[in-house]
Amino acid sequence: MPIILRIVLIAITLVYILILIKAINKKNLQISFSVFWIVSGIILIVALAIPNLVEFVSHKLGFIAPSNMVFCLTIFIAFYLIFNMTIKLAEENKKNTAIIQELSILKKRVKKLEDEKEEKNGK
Amino acid sequence: MKTLLIIPAYNEEENILRVCKEIDKKRPDIDYVVINDGSKDKTLEILEKNNINHINLIHNLGIGGAVQTGYKYAYENNYDIAIQYDGDGQHDVSYVEKIIEPVRKGEANMCIGTRYLDKSSSEFQSTFMRRLGKNIISFIIRICCHKKITDPTSGFRAVDKEIIELFAKKYPTDYPEPESTVDVLKRKYKVVEVPVSMREREGGKSSINIFKSIDYMIKVSLAILIDSIKKV
Repeated sequence: MPIILRIVLIAITLVYILILIKAINKKNLQISFSVFWIVSGIILIVALAIPNLVEFVSHKLGFIAPSNMVFCLTIFIAFYLIFNMTIKLAEENKKNTAIIQELSILKKRVKKLEDEKEEKNGK
Repeated sequence: MKTLLIIPAYNEEENILRVCKEIDKKRPDIDYVVINDGSKDKTLEILEKNNINHINLIHNLGIGGAVQTGYKYAYENNYDIAIQYDGDGQHDVSYVEKIIEPVRKGEANMCIGTRYLDKSSSEFQSTFMRRLGKNIISFIIRICCHKKITDPTSGFRAVDKEIIELFAKKYPTDYPEPESTVDVLKRKYKVVEVPVSMREREGGKSSINIFKSIDYMIKVSLAILIDSIKKV
């Protein structure tokens, strides 16, 4: 890989990590969620900084081209992430339903109590 | 025995008042609660104006979530029997007695009002497609649970205290009727069916069309298969 391209890619990755840290600081991102993204950034930097690392590993694993390994890995990770998100979504959905139900029942009870109190005071 | 009718209602401004008045007239001894599932029309106004016992869901949850709210209400208020009852006027309140009888006598934990058991008693036999769909679902339940349920999608059913508690804690939201029936069967509760007749909708529009029914069939079959291999 030409040195200029390497430097540009490292710079982009650094910016990415900066954005990440900012998001964590602003509390837009939970720490437990952000571990994955920080690790991904570090791996990217390492892969870019050490010349021929990706080539070496992909050759050892038997990939025809290094890019094949990179794409393969990326797709696997993406699938894993989407799957995880689907599970999270289902969990949140369930909690949400329970909250709506309980809140609506509570509202009804509060209204009933208020009405009873009003009636008592009226008499 | 304390008995509660759970009436889920979504955009039923044309029907809900008539349904409630009919219950008041024919069965004044039975309590009912209308669950307004985030209706966009005047359903809530009608409920409030006429002082009908209701719970207003702050967001639309769909039929499963709405009905479960009713079961939670029944559980909290110590009802012995809960009956699901449609808010669109399809169900006839005079059949309520028939449905709660097996549950009250302790002969069954759950009693489903079935449209297809007795041909002559029902003026509403619905279309060929619907019957076909019902037969397929019924067939799958028979394979999975070794029990024949003629009308697994019927929304007219009575359950006892144990099942009220079960449903209050866990109720499927995707395809509530067949899925919850499978759940109940898997827990070895006793389920019986009694023939009832249902009317065509008197007002408003049914939310089902052919593509939706095919979609429903496929997903419901899958859901039942998955439910039946799940551990209880």
